[in-house]
Amino acid sequence: MKKIAILSTLLVTSMAFAVAPKDTLVIQRSADIPTMDPGVTYDTASAEVVDQMYETLLTYSGSSLTKLEPLLATKWAISNGGKTYTFDLRKNVKFHSGATMTCADAEYTFERNLVTNSAESGNWFIAESLTGVQGNANDEKSVTWAVIDKAVECNNAGQLVFNLPKVDPAFLAKLAYTGQAIIEKKYTTGLGEWSGTEKDWKEWVGKDLTGSNLSKKPNGTGPYEFVRADANTFLATAFDGYWGKKPAIKNVISQKVPELAARQQAFLRGDADFIDGGGRSVDEAQIKGKPGVTWIDNLPNTTATAIFMNEKINPSGGLLGSGKLDGKGIPSNFFTDVNVRRGFSYAFNYQQYIEDVQKGKGKQRTMLLPDIFPGYDPKVKTYTYAPAKATAALKKAFGGQVWKNGFTLTANYRANSVPAQTAMEILKRNIEALNPKFKVILQPKQWSEMLAASKKGEEAMMLMGWAPDYADPDNFMYTFYASDGYYSPRANWKDASVDKWLKQARSTVNTAQRNRLYSLVGNRAYEQAPFILIPGGIDYTFFRSNIKGITAQNYNPMISTRWADLSKS
Amino acid sequence: MLNFIVRRLIQIPVVMLVLSLMVVGLTQMLTPEQRAAPYIRSEQQAARLEQIIEERGLRDPFPVQYSRWFVKTISGDLGFSKASGKDVLDTIRERLPATIELTIITAIPILLLSIWLGTLSALHKDKLIDQVLRVMTIIAYSLPTFVLGILMLAIFYAYLGWLPGAGQLSIVNQFAIGDLRRYTGMLSVDAMLNGRWDIAWDVIRHMLLPAATLTIVSSASIIKVMRNNMLEALTSDYVRTARAKGLSPRIVNNKHARRNALLSIVTLGGFLIIGLLGGSLITETIFAFPGIGQWVVQAALQIDLAAVLGFALLSALIVVVVSTLVDILYGVIDPRVRFD
Repeated sequence: MKKIAILSTLLVTSMAFAVAPKDTLVIQRSADIPTMDPGVTYDTASAEVVDQMYETLLTYSGSSLTKLEPLLATKWAISNGGKTYTFDLRKNVKFHSGATMTCADAEYTFERNLVTNSAESGNWFIAESLTGVQGNANDEKSVTWAVIDKAVECNNAGQLVFNLPKVDPAFLAKLAYTGQAIIEKKYTTGLGEWSGTEKDWKEWVGKDLTGSNLSKKPNGTGPYEFVRADANTFLATAFDGYWGKKPAIKNVISQKVPELAARQQAFLRGDADFIDGGGRSVDEAQIKGKPGVTWIDNLPNTTATAIFMNEKINPSGGLLGSGKLDGKGIPSNFFTDVNVRRGFSYAFNYQQYIEDVQKGKGKQRTMLLPDIFPGYDPKVKTYTYAPAKATAALKKAFGGQVWKNGFTLTANYRANSVPAQTAMEILKRNIEALNPKFKVILQPKQWSEMLAASKKGEEAMMLMGWAPDYADPDNFMYTFYASDGYYSPRANWKDASVDKWLKQARSTVNTAQRNRLYSLVGNRAYEQAPFILIPGGIDYTFFRSNIKGITAQNYNPMISTRWADLSKS
Repeated sequence: MLNFIVRRLIQIPVVMLVLSLMVVGLTQMLTPEQRAAPYIRSEQQAARLEQIIEERGLRDPFPVQYSRWFVKTISGDLGFSKASGKDVLDTIRERLPATIELTIITAIPILLLSIWLGTLSALHKDKLIDQVLRVMTIIAYSLPTFVLGILMLAIFYAYLGWLPGAGQLSIVNQFAIGDLRRYTGMLSVDAMLNGRWDIAWDVIRHMLLPAATLTIVSSASIIKVMRNNMLEALTSDYVRTARAKGLSPRIVNNKHARRNALLSIVTLGGFLIIGLLGGSLITETIFAFPGIGQWVVQAALQIDLAAVLGFALLSALIVVVVSTLVDILYGVIDPRVRFD
């Protein structure tokens, strides 16, 4: 008994020392940190730490998605009809290595991103602005050293100058992206990375920088500097030489804890300040309202999701059945008839999806664009669940053949995705209820397989979403609606007016004009119904109540929470 | 003996060659898109799927892909693991010592406890103690590891607060270990060698819950085998002879019966250690223990080919080394076993 008492005392005593100190922020995440090299950062887990150690030229101002403010730049000027951007860089900014940031560092950063531009990175969209094409020198003949060298330069006044081949209204927003954070030339080349010259540029084209030497030894200008990382832990500490306001929290530890129950227990005990939750239903039941927990709800969500109705279904996918309108299949052009698309749009129960999947926290959108994005027009009409209208539309489709003969539509959904499965099941049930001759067969399919098949146009109908890289409507609108947009092979919807408006919106920096063009696209898309718009989710966040600095007012979904803005009581 | 060991070591490359052909061969049943999936984390990255396939040569014929892997491996480069964000070799170097540490702290109690309880159960056959042990064994045997692990965390960490939660080290010590000189890679051992007994104790405390989980789950089958072996030994002729010679029950049980009953436990012990060294997948994942098991789970989920092949190589090495040691131990326990 005595031994047990001694052991218990020892255990409890040492436990008392284990509580996280006030000067340390503790984060527990489910995923690891794939890279700490900004040049290849293209996922939220990496961005969270890169955002604290590195800085971009400019960033979003508060919660605004339209207003950008200087960070490593102090001001900028746009000239040459919107094709030249000249940046004044902040003076006396130190890297964690101790070196002072110069224009050469910024020039090297962007050139490195253009040279490597690997498939794993998000550099394709900055490449599009600066070289005119999305690919690297291996993919595109037009990308030469001369093109890259000219795209970004330092002038005699030490200013950073970008020379764009054509106007890009989204260029500034693209610069706010984590992947464009400034790195130190001398330090990086010293690690054995690209020299920054023409001599070895070819060797670095398309190179995956995920495990680069810079990723192992990061060095930025941000408020936190890297201390150490091992299999499950990342450590950072406040950088003494930081040019801005000194962070209130000295140390930060981000731990990888894959098991949700373990994270929840640590959070509820106060051993972790932030954790990855388990989705709204789990978190509302197990975290919300518990002592010491702050819960902020009704935050903007920036993902847009739709059910695609493919107008040119590739028969090689084997989803057409008989391939005819005989009740046993569908023809390849089934969705070309606008009445079919409208009928399906009226048959989706939007409110039920909000209740079943989003636990009542969802919002129907008018366009495939997050509602807080510039260019979003709330006045565009939306479809509602209306079986009578769906019936009327489908009776008109294919001159009455669809209604008379019925159809068997086979659609895939992403395996293990409950929201995708639920959405498709809602649609199936409602469509089949309209006419006993209508049959929808749903099948689960691996995501990678769906991506490949849909790119070949083989998926008849499927649910897919898009999350933004930068806060510009073009990132969504062109992706979904343009006939040469990224998603076009999946939907095969082509509308000459929409293509014209989207191109016009790309070539002007006049915000009012762009907004008008996007409204036109939204209205046209409502009429033509190429997609069934899935309601947008409403985000939430939670953290320990002794953490200060996060409010609904300063929450910006485009950037990670800055640890430097937080304090702990 | 030396010949025997050399023969066993020569087996490693052969085993590895066959294994690698099988693993790489099996992955060919996946489409290039599926094999490119580990490189994609978002729908935006999926836009570059085709470039990823091209860059990695995932559409190349099987012999080309296999020889590419083979040439790299021969030159000591096991590739980059997407699951760990590091080279496979660096990942193994970083994580294996932690797994060895957990194996040591787990295997010894499992074996000692199982042998003791198995013997106890056999010696008290059908009495209360045997009945209780048999029920406990069946419960432990049937209990899924993830249920037990979470239960242990909920009771000893969340409710009682006696032991630390997931991870390998408390927050207060995380920054301190940067100054430690690493000798073995095993954190508790290195902390002791540096004279940092507080850190060593912290690491050991973090291993108690995963070790207890593994002990409960893994002991059950060994206790059952030990009990059966012991019962068999106790009714054998040589034990009867020993008793007839007038030896004390203690010597008969411990020296004659138990020693013979231990032979198959050595084999089971070998399997146990192979299993533990290969990573306790579920336990390491639940307790966020930075060992091989946690990495392998992630690698398998992500179809991380380099990691899977690297792990196969490591497993082959562990199997050959441990089974060689087991065979040598056989000779020590049973002098009739000779290798010459």
